[in-house]
Amino acid sequence: MANQTYIDNEHSTIYKILNFRLPHKFKAIGILGAILILLFLVGSKFVGSHSLIVKDVLRSLILLFLLLASLSKDKIEDEYNLYLRFQSFVIAFVFITVYSISIPLIAILLDVAITKITGDGSVSFYEISAFEVLFIMLGIQLLCFETLKRFGRVQ
Amino acid sequence: MYNKLKIGRAELNLTQQGLAEKIGVSRQTINSIEKNRYVPSTILALKISELFGKPVNDIFILDEIDYKKESV
Repeated sequence: MANQTYIDNEHSTIYKILNFRLPHKFKAIGILGAILILLFLVGSKFVGSHSLIVKDVLRSLILLFLLLASLSKDKIEDEYNLYLRFQSFVIAFVFITVYSISIPLIAILLDVAITKITGDGSVSFYEISAFEVLFIMLGIQLLCFETLKRFGRVQ
Repeated sequence: MYNKLKIGRAELNLTQQGLAEKIGVSRQTINSIEKNRYVPSTILALKISELFGKPVNDIFILDEIDYKKESV
């Protein structure tokens, strides 16, 4: 009986974490914040005035804003939304796993091909950064979620 | 599984939005259930059944393929 209670407590804790959502307004704040910082980063690339630390902080902020958008509730949050959200997380996870495996391989193959054709150059391993992985994963999750929701609106 | 949600809705003269508001979900949820794109939870199925005044089995009906899935 005591064991059952322990399992029940664990179960409810996990469900509390899984069902944690931020208020709806955080979606707009998250997307807007991420876009503004992204535009600022792209703009600063041409000026080239920012240090690496500033860029790293801004990149972390983009991820934070995207996470806020990803964890925010919809206007009407129901079980169908929850189902679509889980589906979009699965799609994003599978996509980023395939991306992380295939992109370095494609880069190596291209390097080998170019080296063979041109006769010079070197083969190097393309390392995917944590920012790249998380940015693409959160972006894909948000896009998939909105796309799947749009399918539900089609009569 | 298929369902008779659209028929039940028509009998009560309810729109998708109207039904959604009565059971506390979004219109997309009702639309997806009607189009067999989403199977509702037991709680939602029971709420619909209560509103329609019909047993759940009369609204949500299992297909032959659902029985085959169980035997696999």
